[in-house]
Amino acid sequence: MRLAFILSEIGSGLRRNLSMVVSVILVTFVSLTFVGAAGMLQLQINQMKGYWYDKVQVAIFLCGDGSTAAGCATGTATPEQQENLRTLLESPAVAQYINDFQFESKDDAYKHFKEQFSNSPIVDSVTPDQLPASFRINMKDPEKYQIISETFSSQPGVETVIDQRQVLERLFSVMNAASLVAVIIAGVMIVCAILLIATTIRLSAFSRRRETGIMRLVGASKTVIQLPFILEGVIAAVIGAALASGTLWAVAHFFLGEYMSKQYPDTAFISPAQTLILAPALLGLGATLAGISSLLTLRRYLRV
Amino acid sequence: MIRFENVTKVYDQKARPALDSVNLEIDRGEFAFLVGASGSGKSTFLRLVLKEDRATSGAVYVAGQNVANISSWRVPRLRRGIGVVFQDFRLLPQKNVFANVAFAMQVIGKSRSIIRDTVPEVLKTVGLEGKEHRMPHELSGGEQQRVAIARAVVNRPGILLADEPTGNLDPTTSMGIMGVLDKINQNGTTVVMATHDDDIVNEMRKRVVELRNGIVIRDEARALYTSMMPVVGQSRRFKDASGRPDGSAADPGDGPVSSQPGEEL
Ligand SMILES: Nc1ncnc2c1ncn2[C@@H]1O[C@H](COP(=O)(O)OP(=O)(O)O)[C@@H](O)[C@H]1O
Ligand SMILES: [Mg+2]
Repeated sequence: MRLAFILSEIGSGLRRNLSMVVSVILVTFVSLTFVGAAGMLQLQINQMKGYWYDKVQVAIFLCGDGSTAAGCATGTATPEQQENLRTLLESPAVAQYINDFQFESKDDAYKHFKEQFSNSPIVDSVTPDQLPASFRINMKDPEKYQIISETFSSQPGVETVIDQRQVLERLFSVMNAASLVAVIIAGVMIVCAILLIATTIRLSAFSRRRETGIMRLVGASKTVIQLPFILEGVIAAVIGAALASGTLWAVAHFFLGEYMSKQYPDTAFISPAQTLILAPALLGLGATLAGISSLLTLRRYLRV
Repeated sequence: MIRFENVTKVYDQKARPALDSVNLEIDRGEFAFLVGASGSGKSTFLRLVLKEDRATSGAVYVAGQNVANISSWRVPRLRRGIGVVFQDFRLLPQKNVFANVAFAMQVIGKSRSIIRDTVPEVLKTVGLEGKEHRMPHELSGGEQQRVAIARAVVNRPGILLADEPTGNLDPTTSMGIMGVLDKINQNGTTVVMATHDDDIVNEMRKRVVELRNGIVIRDEARALYTSMMPVVGQSRRFKDASGRPDGSAADPGDGPVSSQPGEEL
């Protein structure tokens, strides 16, 4: 009975304040979309880092079938060439710059590739043979990349030596800056959302002061009096958060999945499903914002 | 049922107190008028009983319990034991008669079937049978006040407080309302009514407590609006500190406020 009563109070409150409720929905929608965009950029950075990025800095790619580099005159790197490279890596001259290194076989490379590009059509057209084996090196000081490069570039069986960081670092710093901007905008919008929710609750409490006054007098509990107002704000904010989650999903599905992945087939993009891990966070954040701001407002404007 | 011990209420430090060292006891089942000019402290008295305001000093007891010791989350329980009626009715304009009365039961979680049984019964008590589906604006002032009374007593409170309930009504209608209040009092509810309507007080011949500038200047049983005895108020107040008209012993069993204690929730 009391639940039915609270629900009907919420319904009439939402209807009575429709334009305010719509603006709460829109403001939380926009602010949480910015929060979600920052989250999505971080997910995308992670996706692009792939398996090795956080573990190593330098990759020595060995010759494959179609390699045309100077050191690849003999075709695919032989086991002896591999052994020589390993010995060289372990020699004191080189080892002093290295924490450790790992060998990635063609099969390992294929496995990691499949993980990283699981959302791209390219994954179906690649076979382990097309991917080069490599040594992945974790440097003591990534700045000493030149030394490794000079030592190994001319070794037989080596196609190329790559400083991974150099390739992606700049892009990542742009993306990180973009997430920071998104977070700042989100912060401003969240302040707007909190103020707007507070105003809405205040108006709602004012327009229903007759009812709440009578409820107080006949001994309705604080919960019964306040809960409809709090839930009104929470419901509006949760709708906004759901819209934001839907927008992020749509961006991942249509923009990244359909457009960007065709434009940049060699880049790994996040999948729409991955954006859904942001949804609970956004819904929780929206509900919390509304709950806290309405609690604070009611303490001042709704005597119990 | 209601006991004021040396109660003083100061709203504004610069002004005189709204209530000044009031000592008063109203027994279970009693009917008492609170009379006095506007601003004499009648509404303040009623607000203190409801714990709408806290006394500046002294103690207010309702059903044996000092209201200062009731924690805020238990105040609703105190108020369920007290019905209140005002001069301005305070009905919800978009709800019909039945829904206005039912509202008081819904918000404390009474079941639909209990509401369906109880509301018509109470409407009958206040003389509004057959008007369940009228909207407030389709009722006369007297009928609106009857709805408000029905709402105040539908949860069977042990106490009914009425703050100038006839203030907006003509004399004949007012007498009708008094009949309803008297009937509710006959059923065992303690009634305290603030008024400055001398005709009504003179007609009813109930206990009269007169306030002037926050001070109880008279407290007489079966009295008139104006005292027959000059200056008797002041002298009585000092003779009988409890403020009781006849000086009889206090209500021995200060039980729960509700006249039907088992009915809570
Ligand atoms: N909320 C309040 N704030 C300040 N002063 C008040 C308040 N309520 C009542 N008063 C003052 O207390 C005195 C008693 O008021 P009240 O109890 O309303 O008297 P009555 O109901 O007998 O007309 C008056 O002087 C009034 O101005
Ligand atoms: Mg008054």
